Amino acid sequence: MIKITNLLKRYGDKVALNHLSLEIGPGTIFGLLGPNGAGKTTLISILNGLTQYTEGEVSVFGMPLDKNLVAIRKRCALIPQTLAFYENLTVIENLNFFGGIQNIEKAQLKKNISYAVETNRLSSMLHQRASTLSGGQKRRLNIAIGLLNDPDILFFDEPTVGIDPESRNEILETILSFKKANKTVVYTSHYMPEIEKICDEVAIINAGEIIKSGTMEQMLNNASASQVIFEIYETPLETLEMLSAQGSALSVVDSMHLLLDEKSSQAVAKTLDLLENAGIMVKNVRYGTTTLESLFINLTSKGRRDV
Amino acid sequence: MFKAMLIKEFLLVSRDKHALAALFIMPAVFILIMSLALKDVFNEDKALIEYAVVDKDNSLESFSVMKKLRLNKMMHEHNISDDFKRPKEEGVQFIVVIPKGFKNQFSQADANNSALNIEVAADIGQNHLMLFKTQILSAVMQVRLDAINLAQEMQRHRDKNAPKAQKIEFDEKKMMKVHYAALEAGEKPTSTQQSVPSWIVFGLFFVIIPMSTIFISERKQNTLMRLSTMNVTLPVLFGGKIIPYMLINQLQVWVMIAVGMFIVPLFGAAPLTIGGDISALVAISLALSLSAIGLSILIAVSVDSVEQATTIGGIINILLGAIGGVMVPKFVMPDFMREFANVSPMSWGLEGFLDVFLRRGTLSDVLYEVFGLVMFGLVSLLIAAIIFKYKIRRVA
Repeated sequence: MIKITNLLKRYGDKVALNHLSLEIGPGTIFGLLGPNGAGKTTLISILNGLTQYTEGEVSVFGMPLDKNLVAIRKRCALIPQTLAFYENLTVIENLNFFGGIQNIEKAQLKKNISYAVETNRLSSMLHQRASTLSGGQKRRLNIAIGLLNDPDILFFDEPTVGIDPESRNEILETILSFKKANKTVVYTSHYMPEIEKICDEVAIINAGEIIKSGTMEQMLNNASASQVIFEIYETPLETLEMLSAQGSALSVVDSMHLLLDEKSSQAVAKTLDLLENAGIMVKNVRYGTTTLESLFINLTSKGRRDV
Repeated sequence: MFKAMLIKEFLLVSRDKHALAALFIMPAVFILIMSLALKDVFNEDKALIEYAVVDKDNSLESFSVMKKLRLNKMMHEHNISDDFKRPKEEGVQFIVVIPKGFKNQFSQADANNSALNIEVAADIGQNHLMLFKTQILSAVMQVRLDAINLAQEMQRHRDKNAPKAQKIEFDEKKMMKVHYAALEAGEKPTSTQQSVPSWIVFGLFFVIIPMSTIFISERKQNTLMRLSTMNVTLPVLFGGKIIPYMLINQLQVWVMIAVGMFIVPLFGAAPLTIGGDISALVAISLALSLSAIGLSILIAVSVDSVEQATTIGGIINILLGAIGGVMVPKFVMPDFMREFANVSPMSWGLEGFLDVFLRRGTLSDVLYEVFGLVMFGLVSLLIAAIIFKYKIRRVA
């Protein structure tokens, strides 16, 4: 659905995207992770035709982006981080405006507005001015506007910034529902648990390059990783801390995870003995990283050290 | 697509209380205040000179001069005692002292010892003093002529064979006839007629504030970026601004004309009348509107914040108004300022409106101003488009 090959973007002498290649399949929720200045926004801007690239090839729906921008835009939607609508208009006036501006046929627009309102639970506030909505409701309106052209691809640029956990969960549920509608979602966020929760595939981008990508399973279970994770049945943290004090390479992640910073079979066997002696039941042992966040920090900090 | 743009812009402006106040209430109040403030400036029946006379001669001649002065509607006489104080303390601008022996100057060649003494308030300018001296001189001359006429008449009575002397008159109305160009005989322009066009021009340019405020908010909130991803092109974006604000400007013009026609007379000032063609009025107001909107969009794309837009927009508005003769009539400006006034589109708009309101102008009379204003608007829009594209490219 989206195919990027050898994409180079320069701002003067500065390289923002360095020969980046990526493929995103249909119906995927794709997470784009990276520290500030990594190139995420540049990539999203290029995919939406807001920024021109220096070299490389980008195709969307099998069509070259630079030659089919208008057609591609009709099937895509960008949901910006800012609340890009009119605060002095009501919810329905905003929806009518952003729908009307896209020349969508009247009956189809009515249907699309209904879908957007229903998906984002806005029906009770249609005639309220946008300025009077809560932070979460405003975010939902921001998303609803992106659904008005019934897009096949949705680009989300940190859509949950600055809202309460309950509203965040509602928005994540909404995004998950797009998968059922076979829509492709490209999602950037700084909240790793969100990415872990909703994304099928992830790419970690740093200094304009993709340093790691794959499915969530591939990202977290990695035989080449230098760490081993022990998944255990829930145990009081005090007990685990005492245990950790006995083995210098063993650290406590939470009441159900321990991390061994060594992957030799002797060290793994020794840790298993330790856990058995302490009466702690082990569910699973795997190579890799406990969370996406630790992987992200590990990879991006390495990147920064290399730089 | 375009219809949605128009509806959105109308809804946003209609809900912006500050914009509505700046666009409609402010100019209407301006018209009311300025029409009333300037009511007497162009009214020749209203006294411009406050004076008092102390008559120490108490002669027929001094009474006659005082009587002539009292008939002059431009002057208003105050009563004061013989031991008068300074003019300001007496509440007048001038005090005329008619000395004892004043009547002698009508019968003797030497008038040195019977000259009138004029006390002038310190804050009176030379023009005002000259005007007063002319009025005094005129009154004295008329009394002298009356005396000559009387003397000749008496001479004829004594000598029945003497030819009848022709009466020498000094009547301004008989000596000169005043006619205002393009107006009917005897018709005079009113203060309302002369001041309302200025405030219409000024009010139209206040569109800068709401327009640039909305535009900058759209840019800051990434709404313009979102519209761009929805395939909204620059001509649609600009067109969606120009048409609603042009209609708003036309509404402003008619609201202000209505204030001049119906509200101003309620406060005692003369009503506004449209002497020229309505087509000329519509043409000049549409052209002026385009130039104001072009300038507004240019400011909106050039500045980076709402605060900058309101400050810079307000300053430019006042400067163009001051240069263009909105605040101070061009006829009181020095020559170089009158030439310089032509750099302001407000000056062209004002001339066009004056053609319609004061000079009974037709469409052909305002074509020159219309052309200039349209060109100004189009060039401003072109520069705005270039700056807008440049800024987008720089961000990208």
